[in-house]
Amino acid sequence: MDSLEIFDVESAIASEQEFYRKIIEDNLVNLKLAPAIGRIKVVLRPEDSLFQMAILLRDVGTRVTTADVADIEAKPVAREIIISIKKEQYIPELLGKLWERYGKANISQPDRWTVAISTDKPEEEAAFLKDMMVADPRHRLHENLVDFAIRVTPEGFRVRYHLYKGNQFIFVASEEALKQEWIKEAGAMLEELTKGGKK
Amino acid sequence: MAVLQPYLYTGGVHKHGLLIELLEDLGGYIIQKVITGTEVNLIMLIPEKDVPVVKKQSDELLGMMIEAPLTGVEIAVVSPTLASHHLPHSACDVAEYLRHPGANTNMIGLARGMGRRVSLSMDYERKLINEHDIAVFTFGSFSDCIINKKPKLFEGIEIPIVVTGGPDLKTEDVPGADLYVGNIGRTSHRLRKTEEVSALDKLNEGIGKIADNIRKQQAKDPLAVLPARVMKEIENQVPEIRTVLSPAPLTLQLNGLRVKLPYDEFHERLEKLEFDEGVNLSELSNISRSKMKNYILIKIKSKSDVGFAI
Repeated sequence: MDSLEIFDVESAIASEQEFYRKIIEDNLVNLKLAPAIGRIKVVLRPEDSLFQMAILLRDVGTRVTTADVADIEAKPVAREIIISIKKEQYIPELLGKLWERYGKANISQPDRWTVAISTDKPEEEAAFLKDMMVADPRHRLHENLVDFAIRVTPEGFRVRYHLYKGNQFIFVASEEALKQEWIKEAGAMLEELTKGGKK
Repeated sequence: MAVLQPYLYTGGVHKHGLLIELLEDLGGYIIQKVITGTEVNLIMLIPEKDVPVVKKQSDELLGMMIEAPLTGVEIAVVSPTLASHHLPHSACDVAEYLRHPGANTNMIGLARGMGRRVSLSMDYERKLINEHDIAVFTFGSFSDCIINKKPKLFEGIEIPIVVTGGPDLKTEDVPGADLYVGNIGRTSHRLRKTEEVSALDKLNEGIGKIADNIRKQQAKDPLAVLPARVMKEIENQVPEIRTVLSPAPLTLQLNGLRVKLPYDEFHERLEKLEFDEGVNLSELSNISRSKMKNYILIKIKSKSDVGFAI
């Protein structure tokens, strides 16, 4: 599945459809979600105060461990571990975890790409660090998806339903109490997407 | 009474004092002075016949002088709420663009303005909006909402109402609106495409016309004193105004001004503000507590009310 291979926005009035498509595009860019979404369909019915969205996600990588983002080297004589960063984007998460485990006083950053930890058992700790989970993209994706859904929905639609299962995401929002058929319709939209859309 | 023309001067800080001195000699007024780094922006009112003199001075200083038709107009930019759905784009873009021709804008986010059935405005909010000269409501992308649902927010608004929204509608379609401008709907990006900027230009032009109409209406029964003159007298007689850090400590309106000083401490001194002709400000205007913070709102009475004008 390519990213955004299906991107449908449906509304009764064509010009409004274009406005809304732009809003969704902007928010996808702002939250850096575009690469994670394979197919998306949004249906707008302002006359019913209804907003429906179905999303099929692409495979987003598995958990990221320290070994994925950095090289770890134990220095038994100097009683320290040197971590050489390979992927800078995960530094905040990595540092957070390290601070929690060793305390800020024991960690220094001589330069942008290096983190030095002083510890009594460098070899054992280095082995542990290699498999330590640094970040879980799925968790981050979930947060971003919910944020995205709330941002693109018209603001007054405060009654919301959402379902997030595997790579499927459904979001229905309205101003009135939700009707069961609206949720079913969104489910049907998702099925349609799974089959590859109308085209 | 001399007719005053509003102009905006943009130039270097160097020697800009010459321009201010010249303006004082000619009997014009400085409405606002903003210094950013080495640049200075002066919004000023110049006596009509002396405009060429000021232009000459501005050319000597290598500055630029442009007409600023919205000078002395305080505009409320009302967004349904202050959530990220409406801000910073497009409501802030609208407010920012209205400042180019000299207007002072205030952003007002309603507490419960969002939604179709559930949107409403509070008495306090309506009174606050009514303190301004013109209200600009920034709405979304659905014509159904703009035509059928949102106009209930206009109830109780007595000043001219301008509406912006996404779809291309006619002003007559939106009940209660004095002007509708399309192509400025809900967006999540800065308004900088050609069609968006030209829509903003259209908005400025339309609001300029509305302000002109109000001025024309006023000319039939002029104000007892020019707001700009009151401004100058306050600057001279209440020196504390210089310690106020707001960008516009004295905000001009078409029929009055907002003084950004605490009401309880200063309203008596403003009431006793004296003019050369021997009258007090309290005789010429209504001075009340503003709904905005604890400021002072001065609404100048018309000549027919007071019996004379100075």
